[in-house]
Amino acid sequence: MKKFAYFPGCSLEKLAQSYNNSSVETTRLLGVELQELEDWNCCGATTYFHVDQLLAYTLVARNLAMAEKEGLDLVAPCSACYKNAYFTNKYIKEDPDLAEHINYALEEDDLQFNGTINVHHVIEIFVNEIGVEKIKSKITNPLEGLRVAPYYGCQIVRPKHNGTDAENPHFFEELVSAMGADTVDYPERLRCCGASLIMTSRHAALNMVRTLLQSAVDCETNVIATACPLCQVNLECYQPQVNEEFGTNFNMPVLYFTQLLGLAMGLPPKKVGIGSELVSAAPIFDKYLKRTVR
Amino acid sequence: MAAKPTFGQEISNLLYASHGNPLTNCIHCGTCSGTCPVVDFMDQTPRRLIGMINADLKEDVLACNTYWFCASCYHCTVRCPAQIDIADVMYAVKRYSIWHKTYSEDLVGPTFSETFVKTIIRSGRSYEPVLAPTYMFSMGIKEVLQEAHMATQMMLKGRMPVLPTKIKRLENFKKMVRRIIPMGGAK
Amino acid sequence: MARTRLLIIDDDPDYVDGIKSILEKADYQVDVAYNPKDGFAALDAQKYDLLLLDIMMGRGAEGVMVARKLNKDPVLRKMPVLIITGIREQMAFLFPGQPVHPHILPTDEILEKPVDPKLLLEKVESLLQEAAEKEAQGE
Repeated sequence: MKKFAYFPGCSLEKLAQSYNNSSVETTRLLGVELQELEDWNCCGATTYFHVDQLLAYTLVARNLAMAEKEGLDLVAPCSACYKNAYFTNKYIKEDPDLAEHINYALEEDDLQFNGTINVHHVIEIFVNEIGVEKIKSKITNPLEGLRVAPYYGCQIVRPKHNGTDAENPHFFEELVSAMGADTVDYPERLRCCGASLIMTSRHAALNMVRTLLQSAVDCETNVIATACPLCQVNLECYQPQVNEEFGTNFNMPVLYFTQLLGLAMGLPPKKVGIGSELVSAAPIFDKYLKRTVR
Repeated sequence: MAAKPTFGQEISNLLYASHGNPLTNCIHCGTCSGTCPVVDFMDQTPRRLIGMINADLKEDVLACNTYWFCASCYHCTVRCPAQIDIADVMYAVKRYSIWHKTYSEDLVGPTFSETFVKTIIRSGRSYEPVLAPTYMFSMGIKEVLQEAHMATQMMLKGRMPVLPTKIKRLENFKKMVRRIIPMGGAK
Repeated sequence: MARTRLLIIDDDPDYVDGIKSILEKADYQVDVAYNPKDGFAALDAQKYDLLLLDIMMGRGAEGVMVARKLNKDPVLRKMPVLIITGIREQMAFLFPGQPVHPHILPTDEILEKPVDPKLLLEKVESLLQEAAEKEAQGE
């Protein structure tokens, strides 16, 4: 079984536990083990960069160094954690002075980072490591007729990619098709959910969430699939606030792509964290989850 | 030797290690402003902000909310035909404003950032309930009630942390941080 | 004898103006670099008798990184360095207490902004002397 060092990140401890459970369960079923990094620390989301980027790189490097010690590539399910880890890894590899300075700090925790590993988002594990064909072969409960909007958000694709890869990615759509679902051609799939602005600039963020939800409704979406805990919380948990602020009436389920995949592979709903939604997904399951579970 | 830097050059100095092109490469095409999902809520558009930095309009730049309203979505960065890393520029102006304490008091962003970083430096992990007061103070009673209601719902679904978590090797972690930021010596 | 030549690496233009004029009045020749990259370029082009180094620059606390890099260079590490920082003000929200003197280089010292002109000149003088003594002893 292929193994990766798994960095869940702070959100997945509680807020997005369903993403955590469903990622671990679905990868296992597909022959990949996500081994949680022992004693990992917060990667700082985006806020360290407002204060001190060298500190930001150092704290991420501690996690990278622990993964390297295990001889494993690092996997992050949160897009912000992923972006931080991916670029810290890249910059340390490119800049020997930066590497030297950060290693001097890591000494305090008996660690060292030599830049010998790679960083992946959990969705990249499904798309690149496992592959859509293998996923298709494991689908026992295709989500036939379910209209799923694949919502990329920002930091999986940006700023890592540019040009066509940034403007017109299609890996998420392929993944949704592999589950047997109908892929919604979702125009706002790359538009930002507002991320932490929900806390710092609330009105702006609620507006951004409204745009995304309205577009999903217009496309007759049954469920939005996300790959990031921040996106999920903004799109799902803030729906009542959006409705109150703008007089709308959204009631759109928002699930992690790993939850949908787990269901399509026949995992029991509880195992992929179904039941912790604030916007219930029960109606769509009643309609589309016809076959028995594993 | 170097002449006294203008404000625009001060920002360039903060970006000396950036992977993008200098701000003076801006061709004022407005792609960033047209792309930005938050532009409607900014005092100045990203294009104008860059123009204002290049024109050394220091007070006006620092007084506007634009850089604190950047959500770091990097859409402008990947589209900029002059290859300026605009999101990185926003970070640089944020650093300038935090280091010089020039941000306006009614913005939540700076306090939120400071509290977030402080929480992590002390425990190694982030903890949502510590952060809430930093943004709740700016809200009206309606929003506070909405927020409290949501927190209760999340709690019931097991999605809210009840206690803050700490990493195990916290002492090492703190010493590591001090090697990067040499602060916290004897008073 | 040639005048004593000092380099300031600091990103704060107003602050640099202040200490530069104090030092020039005391008959030092003073060059300035406003970011670490220009600083290393200056050190490459010219020998300096002493460096005045800021901490918070560029991406973050880069002064520490600059000092550590200097220490790896067999020639540059002999240059005395006076670290002058406003880090307590800049990062007060993060840590209580004083800046820590990192003792990175053989001859270094730390002062906090704002610096008293008399103290500044005293420190520069004593660091220059200390470095000269070390040089004479062949360290």
